[in-house]
Amino acid sequence: MNADRIEREVKISAPIERVWSVLTEPAHVGTWFGTGTPAEIDLRPGGVMVLDHGSYGTFPTLIVDVDPPRALSYRWASAYPGVLATADNSTLVEFTLEPAADGTLLRVVESGFDSLVIPPERESSAGYASHSEGWSGVAEKLAAFAEGADESPLMPVA
Amino acid sequence: MNAVDGVLAALADPTRRELLDRLSAQGRSTATRLAGELPITRQAVVQHLAVLDAVGLVSGQRVGRERRYEVRSERLTETARWMDRLAAQWDRRLATIKAIAEAESPR
Repeated sequence: MNADRIEREVKISAPIERVWSVLTEPAHVGTWFGTGTPAEIDLRPGGVMVLDHGSYGTFPTLIVDVDPPRALSYRWASAYPGVLATADNSTLVEFTLEPAADGTLLRVVESGFDSLVIPPERESSAGYASHSEGWSGVAEKLAAFAEGADESPLMPVA
Repeated sequence: MNAVDGVLAALADPTRRELLDRLSAQGRSTATRLAGELPITRQAVVQHLAVLDAVGLVSGQRVGRERRYEVRSERLTETARWMDRLAAQWDRRLATIKAIAEAESPR
């Protein structure tokens, strides 16, 4: 049982290059991962992508890997607005794209929750900022045990 | 440390997850009995149970010379809910990505 990751995936009826552009172009990123204004993106390993989450703050994420159109990853310090992501304060978000019948399979893995410390005053907004499902797996499983229910599936698929 | 944070940190240790699993399955147990089932010392079990107790995942009650521990499900349920919300946000983001990509790619 891996306790440290969220894994979600979605099948998209569009070519892989199209999905890649939605993942990486400022206007698109601003739409699905921001408040509508184009995101600032320096698309290279070591580059910074700034996510604007409105009243929750801006989040300078650190791009780790760029391999068009198959892989993109960055570190995201979702509990620390305004702070550049480092290995200590952030989770790693990894997108992988695979050609599938009639489209693209897009998978996202967010990992590193066990070493993440969320400051108490940020609990609710870190919740907003998105996290954990590997954790959800563990906690749900344990909760199911605790409530006497059957073992629940570790990783519900979207 | 806040509640959810403490629970996550406590759950980060595989031995503590194993102890929780066993306590959940058995209802109640003691450090001595749990140590007998696992390749770790009673003292280590006591320390892990103290961590779980501190974040509210288990509670212990003194019975004779031993403490009997049981799982407190409220805290786990609360943490599971928090994490479900977070997971749901990824689902929403992926759904938005899908909508954008498919709208730009009429077939």
